[in-house]
Amino acid sequence: MAGIIEAIGLGEPRLANMADLEGELSALWRSAAEGPAPGYAVTRACTMTLLIYVESDEAAYEVTNLVAEVTRQNPCRAIIMMLDSEAVSSGLEAWVLAHCHLPVAGEKQVCSEQVTIRARGEAGQGLPSVVLPLTVSGLPIFLWWRAGDFSPPPYFDDILRVTQHVIVDTARFSPVGRHLQDLAAWLHKFSGRIQLTDLNWSRITPWRELIAQCFDSPDRRPYLDRLTEVRIEYEQDSARLVTQRAQGLLLTGWLASRLGWEFLMSERREEAQPRTFYFKSAAGRVKVERNLKRVENACGVCFTIELRAEGASPARFSFTRRQDGKVVRTLAEVPGSPPMGRSVRVEVLDEVEILNEELKLGVRDWLYEDALSVVARMIAS
Amino acid sequence: MAETTTLSNPLQEGIRIHRTPNPCAMVIFGASGDLTERKLIPALFYLARERMLPAGFSVIGCARTPATNDSFREKMEGAVKKYLKLSPESDAYVESFGKGIFYIADDFGDPAAYTQLKDALDRLDRERGTAGNRLFYLATPPSFFPVIVKHLGAAGLAKPKFPEASWTRIIIEKPFGRDLASARELNRIVTEVFKEDQVYRIDHYLGKETVQNLLVFRYANGIFEPFWNRRYINHVQLCVAEDLGVENRGSYYEEAGLVRDMIQNHVLQLLSLVTMEPPATFDATSVRDEKAKVLRAIRPLTADQIDEFTVRAQYVEGWVGGKRVPAYRAEPKVSPTSTTETYAALKLYIDNWRWADVPFYLRSGKRLAKRVSEISIQFRRVPHLLFKGVGADGIEPNVLSVNVQPNEGISLKFCAKLPGATMQIRPVQMEFRYGESFGAPPPTAYETLLLDCMLGDATLFNRSDAVELSWELVDPILDRWREQGAKGLAFYQAGSWGPAEADALIERDGRQWYRV
Repeated sequence: MAGIIEAIGLGEPRLANMADLEGELSALWRSAAEGPAPGYAVTRACTMTLLIYVESDEAAYEVTNLVAEVTRQNPCRAIIMMLDSEAVSSGLEAWVLAHCHLPVAGEKQVCSEQVTIRARGEAGQGLPSVVLPLTVSGLPIFLWWRAGDFSPPPYFDDILRVTQHVIVDTARFSPVGRHLQDLAAWLHKFSGRIQLTDLNWSRITPWRELIAQCFDSPDRRPYLDRLTEVRIEYEQDSARLVTQRAQGLLLTGWLASRLGWEFLMSERREEAQPRTFYFKSAAGRVKVERNLKRVENACGVCFTIELRAEGASPARFSFTRRQDGKVVRTLAEVPGSPPMGRSVRVEVLDEVEILNEELKLGVRDWLYEDALSVVARMIAS
Repeated sequence: MAETTTLSNPLQEGIRIHRTPNPCAMVIFGASGDLTERKLIPALFYLARERMLPAGFSVIGCARTPATNDSFREKMEGAVKKYLKLSPESDAYVESFGKGIFYIADDFGDPAAYTQLKDALDRLDRERGTAGNRLFYLATPPSFFPVIVKHLGAAGLAKPKFPEASWTRIIIEKPFGRDLASARELNRIVTEVFKEDQVYRIDHYLGKETVQNLLVFRYANGIFEPFWNRRYINHVQLCVAEDLGVENRGSYYEEAGLVRDMIQNHVLQLLSLVTMEPPATFDATSVRDEKAKVLRAIRPLTADQIDEFTVRAQYVEGWVGGKRVPAYRAEPKVSPTSTTETYAALKLYIDNWRWADVPFYLRSGKRLAKRVSEISIQFRRVPHLLFKGVGADGIEPNVLSVNVQPNEGISLKFCAKLPGATMQIRPVQMEFRYGESFGAPPPTAYETLLLDCMLGDATLFNRSDAVELSWELVDPILDRWREQGAKGLAFYQAGSWGPAEADALIERDGRQWYRV
C-alpha cells in the first residue's frame, strides 16, 4: 500500500562542514521522532549509500522527489551531488532532509536521510572530500549518474574507488552511438571492479524475457539457430526516440552475443532510416533492420521486434507493444501449429520503479557487458 | 515432434529477474472447487501476467461438474477478476490467460476420462508447445486422491512423456491422510505410481516469505546460529491463531479438528524449520533430511504426559472484532454435542544434542483474539543481575519473534536504559518488517509454491517421511482424546486467547504465553 511521504528538513543550505552535517543528521532524527505525526515511532533503516550526481538545481529538486520514492523500497542514505561547473563563484553548500513514510495508520514511521551538496565552480573538486566521510560504513555504495552522458571528471576517481555499483541511463546519452562506445571503453577499464547498470537496459529486460521464453519449447528452439532476419521498429517522432534507439541497439547486441553472431558490416539503405546491420551466424547471414515508424500522437511506447527464420520451414516470432503502452502481444507462427499468441504486461516503467529493482539486484550483469561490447563494434563500423 | 531435443536456450542465460519454468501444462483435479477459484487460478494468472510462466502455459480443469471449455474459462476469468480486484484495463491479460484454459468433465473414476485427458495434453504439446511437461494438482477432497493417482498411472500419465527430456509432477493438497495408517496407505498408493521426487505435498504455510526468511535468517547470518541451542534458549513458543471460526466447513471440521487441521502440518512444519540442524546445502534433499531428523527427535508423549502436557478446548459464544459470534456447537453442520477441539496447546521436547530439556510450547486455535502466527524464541536471563534495586524489574529476557502472518517480519526484544540520572531499564523492540523495509509486497504462498514446483524445487514441500513422522506424533494424542470423549475438553470464549487450562499448562513451568 502506498503511503504518505513526509519530508522533514532542517534550515537553509549552508556552507558544507562535516561536523555540522553530522550534527544536523542527528538533529534530524530527533526532529523526525518529535515530528509531524505524533504517536508514530520512527524506524531508521539503511541498506546502502546512494550517491546521485546531477548538474542543476532543477535536477536536484527533481531527484529529491524521486529519492523519496526510492527510499520506500530501498532505505538508504542518499547523497545528492549537484555540480554547477560553469558557475562564476565557487563554493560548497549542503543541507539535510529526511524522507519519512507512513505506510498505514498505526504502523511505524520509517525514515531515510538525504544530504544534498551543491558545488559551484572550482569547488567541485572538493566534492569527494565532503561526500566520502558521509558514506555509511560497512554498506555498499551505489553511484547513480543522472546527468546525461557518463563522463566523470578525474577528481571523481576517489569516489569511484569506493563505489561498488554505477548506474547510468543510456536513454540520456546524446548522441547515443558515440557515448555507448565511450561507455564500453570505460567499462572495459573498470570491468570486474565496478558493476555497471544501465536503466535503459533494464527497461528492455521484460522484452528479453519474452523473446527468450518464445524459444523454450523444444519444438521452437531449433529456429533460434536458423534466424535470418531481425526487424526492430520504433517511433519516429517521440520524446523517447533516443531511449528506443539505444534499446534497439542493445537488443541487437544481446541477440548477437547470446547467439554467437559475428558482426560483419552496416549500411544505410535510406537516408531517413537508421543503419542496417549484418551478422554472420552458424547458419548464414543475419540482417538486423531498424525502422522508424511515423505514429500519430507519438509517445514512445510503440515498439516491435520481429524475428524471422526463412528457408524451407519459415517461421516468424513477433513482439509488439502498441499505444496503450502496457500490453505486449506476442505471436509465434511456426509450420505445423496454429499461430499462438499471448498478451502479457510490459509497461513502460518509470525511473523509480526501474531504479528500485536495480538497487535490489546489485549484481554484475555480464550479459549487458557482452551486449555493449557488440554494440560498440556495430557503432564503430 | 522434437522428442530428443535437449538444446539449451542461450537467450535464457543470465536473465536476471524471473525464474521461468520450462513450457508445461497443469491439470487441476477438483477444478470446480473453492481452492481453484480463490487461490490457484488467481496465482497462476498473476504469474502469467508478470511473465513468470512459460509461453503456451496451459491449464486443464477436471471436475465432476458438467461444463465446457468456454463456460469453465468464463468462470475462471471471472474468478481472476473477482479475487484480484482487477480493473477493466486488465481484460487483455485475462483474455490471453483464458485462451490457455480448458476443461474436462470427469467423475475421477472413469478410465475414458483419463484417455481424453491424455489426448488433450498431447494436443497442447503440439499446439501450444507444452513440451510433454505435466503438473497434476489434486485439489479434490482427500477421498479422491487414491483413485485419481491410480488412474493416472493406468493411463500412462504418471511417467514423463519423453524420458530425460520432460517431467511429470503431482501436487497433493493437505490433509495428507487423517492418521498415520491412512497417510502410510496414501503414500504407498502414490509412490506405487509416482517416484518420490515427482511428488509435491503442499503446505501453503511453507510458501510464506517469512518461513523462507527464517532459513535465511538462521543460515545467512553468523550471529544467530551460535546462540540457537539449549545453552542460550530458555524455551520456544509457536502460536498459530485465527480469529475466524469454521465458516462453512463445519462438516469437514467435525471430522478433522484443530490438531489435524493445523498442528500435524503447519505447526510441526514451522517447528522443524526453527529447530533443524543446518543442512549441508540449500537443496530439497538436504533441507528435508534435516527436517525429518528433527521431527524424529521429538519425544513422543505417553498417555500420562498427554494428560499433563496437552490441552484441548472448544470455543463458546463470544465477541470477535466487535461482533457477537456463535459457539462452535452452534455453527452450521456441527453437532450440538460435538467434542471436536477448536484449540490445542502442547508442550513438547526434542531429544537431541541441541535442544535437550528446552520446552516447546505450541498453541493454535480458531476464534482467538486475532489472526497471528508467530514463533517466539525466549533466551535465558542474564546469569547475574548487576542492576539491582530501582529499575531492575524492567530486565526481561531477550525474545526473538518471527512473525509469519499477518505482518511478516522479525523482531528482537532487548533491554535499554531509559535516559536520565537514575538506572531505569526498559525492554525495547527492534523490528524488521517486510512491508516497511522493502515496500513491495511479497508473492503469495501459492505463487511461490506453484512456481517452485514447475521449476522442480521441492525444498518447500513435504516429503513422505516428514508427513508420517508428524502423524506418529499426533496420533497418540488424538487416540487419547478420543478415549476421553467429553472429559478433559475445556472451553474458551470466542475472541479470547484460549482456555485457562492452557495458561495453567505453561504457568506450571513458571512461564507465560508470550503476548503476540
